[in-house]
Amino acid sequence: MLVRAALLVALGCFVAALPGCGGETTQQTETFRVALLTPGSISDGGWNQAAYDGLERVERELGARVSHVETKSPAQFEEEFRSYARDGFDLVFGHGFEYQEAAARVAPSYPETVFVTTSGNTVLPNLAPMVFELEQATYLCGWLAAKLSSSGRLGAIGGVDLPSIRSTFVAFRAGAEAARPGVSVREVFLGRFDDVPAAREAATALLDEGADFLIHQVNDAGRGVFQAVQERAAKGSRVYAFGTNRNQNDMAPDVVLASAVLDVPSAFVEVARRVESGSFRAEPIRLGMGEGIVSFVLNAGLSGGIEAPVLQELAALAAKIRSGELQVPRGNF
Amino acid sequence: MDALLEAALRLATPLLFAALGELLVERSGVVNIGIEGLMLTGAFAAFAVAVTTASPGLGVAAGVSASVALGMVFAWFVVLRSADQIVVGTAVNLLALGATGLALRSLFPGGIPAAPVVGPLEIPGLASLPVVGTALFGATPFVPTSLAATLCVALFLARTRAGLRWRAVGEVARAADAEGVRVAAVRIGAIAVGAAFAGIAGAMLPLAQSNTFSEGMTAGRGFIALAIVIFGRWNAIGCAAAALFFGATTALQFRLQARGLAVPYPLALALPYVLTLAVLAIATGRARAPRDLGRPYRREAH
Repeated sequence: MLVRAALLVALGCFVAALPGCGGETTQQTETFRVALLTPGSISDGGWNQAAYDGLERVERELGARVSHVETKSPAQFEEEFRSYARDGFDLVFGHGFEYQEAAARVAPSYPETVFVTTSGNTVLPNLAPMVFELEQATYLCGWLAAKLSSSGRLGAIGGVDLPSIRSTFVAFRAGAEAARPGVSVREVFLGRFDDVPAAREAATALLDEGADFLIHQVNDAGRGVFQAVQERAAKGSRVYAFGTNRNQNDMAPDVVLASAVLDVPSAFVEVARRVESGSFRAEPIRLGMGEGIVSFVLNAGLSGGIEAPVLQELAALAAKIRSGELQVPRGNF
Repeated sequence: MDALLEAALRLATPLLFAALGELLVERSGVVNIGIEGLMLTGAFAAFAVAVTTASPGLGVAAGVSASVALGMVFAWFVVLRSADQIVVGTAVNLLALGATGLALRSLFPGGIPAAPVVGPLEIPGLASLPVVGTALFGATPFVPTSLAATLCVALFLARTRAGLRWRAVGEVARAADAEGVRVAAVRIGAIAVGAAFAGIAGAMLPLAQSNTFSEGMTAGRGFIALAIVIFGRWNAIGCAAAALFFGATTALQFRLQARGLAVPYPLALALPYVLTLAVLAIATGRARAPRDLGRPYRREAH
């Protein structure tokens, strides 16, 4: 009995001493592994799909191994962060402002993993937000809308009132005020991002109130906004909408005047490169028009109807934003 | 005011279809909380078929068929296998959410196309009636159809022999059985008809209320329909009143927000729920669920 136990112990020691069986030695040769948490469906044609495109580019361009999970509830955030970190992922993206608390709770336990939230302000040695300056482009949307509006009323439709979403509306309003002091900007929130019919009703309500230019931040449901504007335009009204996050100009080419575009895929590749090369620093990673990550894209099919002086002024304003001469107001978060 | 009425009817219509379906199911003694999943399945099938065939009519038919097919899976479990109705209903909801999401991503990997939509009726003459003209007859055919369906369901349950048997199965299944009514057949039929209504409710979301499908686009409408059946006191006219009230308050809250009222938006969003509860609390009268609601019927059990 005793002999058998001793043999087992000896065998155990031998196995433990074998090269390659301790964790450390194989770490070096492992491929770079990147995970992504999204708050919604990656087929939304907007915020979440762009992140997934980014993840696919990270896989292609950096040869990384990637994984994605769609989190259904805040309770799941921490669980998923922890499970990826425990599996030894090098970089985990939480695609949204709402992920930062969960990331901050998990990050200290897994110093080998870098956590990056899309927008936010929480910074730890291995946690930083990437902050997109989409506000720079929504500022231009607001400016152009106020210049062209005949009613002097603009509308904004939001999903959930998250600080990052509110911030793009703050900039939209500031741009509108800069072009036309006293302009009215009304906001309607839906409380969710997946209800297309509700977005259409909200847009219709704003149009009924006289708004003639609408911006949205409702991801999937943006199509409902465009549909409401198209219907109103079909009745002979001069009404337009702006696309956000992705270039949505071709989703309703007759009414989407311009899009505030965020090149999320490039941002993901940029951040993943920094983490892989070890140049990641614990500070917010700011990415805007100057870095080529954010852009304001006019719908070529509609921009012909805008007077040349307005377009020139718009271009000058965009140049000022790119160079950093004009700081666009944003929400405080 | 006209715009508000139109919006109220638009918002109420899918709720009313779903609630009428659930009402018929519940009057036969079965609770189908999977109605949200049936709607979502109907919505997806309607969208996919309408896009592929460029025919919104075929889309609606596909939505109804898909919803009935899934409803029959539910029926097999709860009627023939006497499984717990809440558990199977929940499974239907989860299955529908996952399956439609997966199907959407695999069928349309390059992005979600726009669907051909069911256009407005625009019945000349009727559409120019004052007040209700455009709201009823300038809208999609779904709107007047839902009101006609309400009357049909009310008459069927209250005035026909089949309706009487149907209700008897829901009240005291054993007594109905003793009278020679085939309980299982009535319940399976009820689930099929209920699923067809849910399919219409689902199909109109991508083909009339919008021109696209998004994952989880039913957004809880099936659950609201369940509540509407209770608010409507298990009565078709009551369901129509509750659905219209809910639609009107929802339309109103969007308009309050759009008017720029300094009300925090979560309060505005809660308005339809709060007002509906308030009305229910104030309104008096008898509200009683069918007696055998939710109880599986086993012939040999005593």
